[in-house]
Amino acid sequence: MANPALDSVVASGGASRSVAALRISGGVLAIGALCWAWLVIDAPIDSRQGVIQKVLYVHVPLWFAAYAGFLLTALCGAMYLWRNDERFDRVAIAAAEVGVLFCTLGLVSGPIWAKGTWGHWWAWDPRLTVSLLLWFIYLAYLLLRSFTEGSTRTARFAAVYGIAGLGAVPLNYFAIELFGGAAMHPDNLERGSLGDGMGWPFVAGIFACAAAFVHLLIVRTDLETRRAEVDELEQDLEF
Amino acid sequence: MNVFAAVLWKDLLTEWRSRDRIVAMLMFSLLMVIAFHFSLPGGATAETRHNAPGLLWVAYVFSAMLGLSRSFAIELDNDAISGLAMAPADRGWLFMGKVAANMLILGFVQLVTAFVFAIVFEISLAPALIGIVVLGSLGLCSVGTFFAAVSIRTRLREVMLPLLVLPFYVPVLSAASRATTSLIETGEVPFEPIQFLLVVDASYLIISFLLSDFVLDE
Repeated sequence: MANPALDSVVASGGASRSVAALRISGGVLAIGALCWAWLVIDAPIDSRQGVIQKVLYVHVPLWFAAYAGFLLTALCGAMYLWRNDERFDRVAIAAAEVGVLFCTLGLVSGPIWAKGTWGHWWAWDPRLTVSLLLWFIYLAYLLLRSFTEGSTRTARFAAVYGIAGLGAVPLNYFAIELFGGAAMHPDNLERGSLGDGMGWPFVAGIFACAAAFVHLLIVRTDLETRRAEVDELEQDLEF
Repeated sequence: MNVFAAVLWKDLLTEWRSRDRIVAMLMFSLLMVIAFHFSLPGGATAETRHNAPGLLWVAYVFSAMLGLSRSFAIELDNDAISGLAMAPADRGWLFMGKVAANMLILGFVQLVTAFVFAIVFEISLAPALIGIVVLGSLGLCSVGTFFAAVSIRTRLREVMLPLLVLPFYVPVLSAASRATTSLIETGEVPFEPIQFLLVVDASYLIISFLLSDFVLDE
């Protein structure tokens, strides 16, 4: 018997559909990561901090990727509430998971640098505090998704929580300007504020993290799309 | 605006008739005061007095969460929540009604707790504390009521609420504790934490007012 849902999956090319996109993003990531590693090794050693300063080329790009993840989560959440299109929700969950991953790596790489430069692993600096809150908020977002029943309700609640949590992102970025005072983090980087030869490894870091972000986002969104297709097929077979 | 008054009245009346939420919150926060007293051995030393406002706000936050999760749990009986969701009224104002009711209930609990706290930790209270408490509980109740509506529809319910709401409570807790410490120690309220509280309250109120359409469902 003909099954329209099955036919549509077969017609769309099934598994092969996203492979091309993954190959491109994977290739860009591999080349980007190699260039990044090369440039970081080649970068000059900081006269005051020593070699530990090279964590900069990893730590800051990781945070930019985390910001991008949370921004996309909120944006797709808002689009879902507006358009009621499930595809936005799939990107939202993918972005949140990838964002939490980068945020975790940022929270791990930070203390390594801090121990070497500040002398201790953690300080209740405004940016550190808000970073930790940001991590907790989007971890709660993922928990909320797994504990809510019903796909439309899950998507709706998650969208609302993702939007509400986004407030912490600008608060984190501008934490030093806003709360200043006892901050351990330096002011935000401006063009030319890095030393000679330090600009390119930093740019390469941002590029490689962006490539990793896009690659993981495609993989995760694809997984979510397949999950939805399987659900649809199961429903079709039941009736 | 009428729906605001109607929901406020309904919530207060239900609470007055049963009085279960207020009694539970009050007992809980008083037990917390006692727990704090015994977890800081050595009696009311200068150091404990310095830390007391922070502890007082921790007690407020926990009793708020206890009461807030009930605020929507009572609506699940007889599926009253569907009635609320289907009412031909602005859900934003409906939410504000609930926030106001929660604030009044929490306010009573906070008042009693503050007096007991003052006796146990030998601190003197100033009338300006009321202002800080109002600003603080506006922040706690606005975002708390909002996420209570979300958590009540999840599998873990009461467990989910603290996970969702505590990250949002940290700014309120930090600013309110700083303001209270300064008030108790110097007799003056610094402008900076109050300004911060005002900004946080306003953002939380706006978020919960605007997004309330999406968290109430039939």
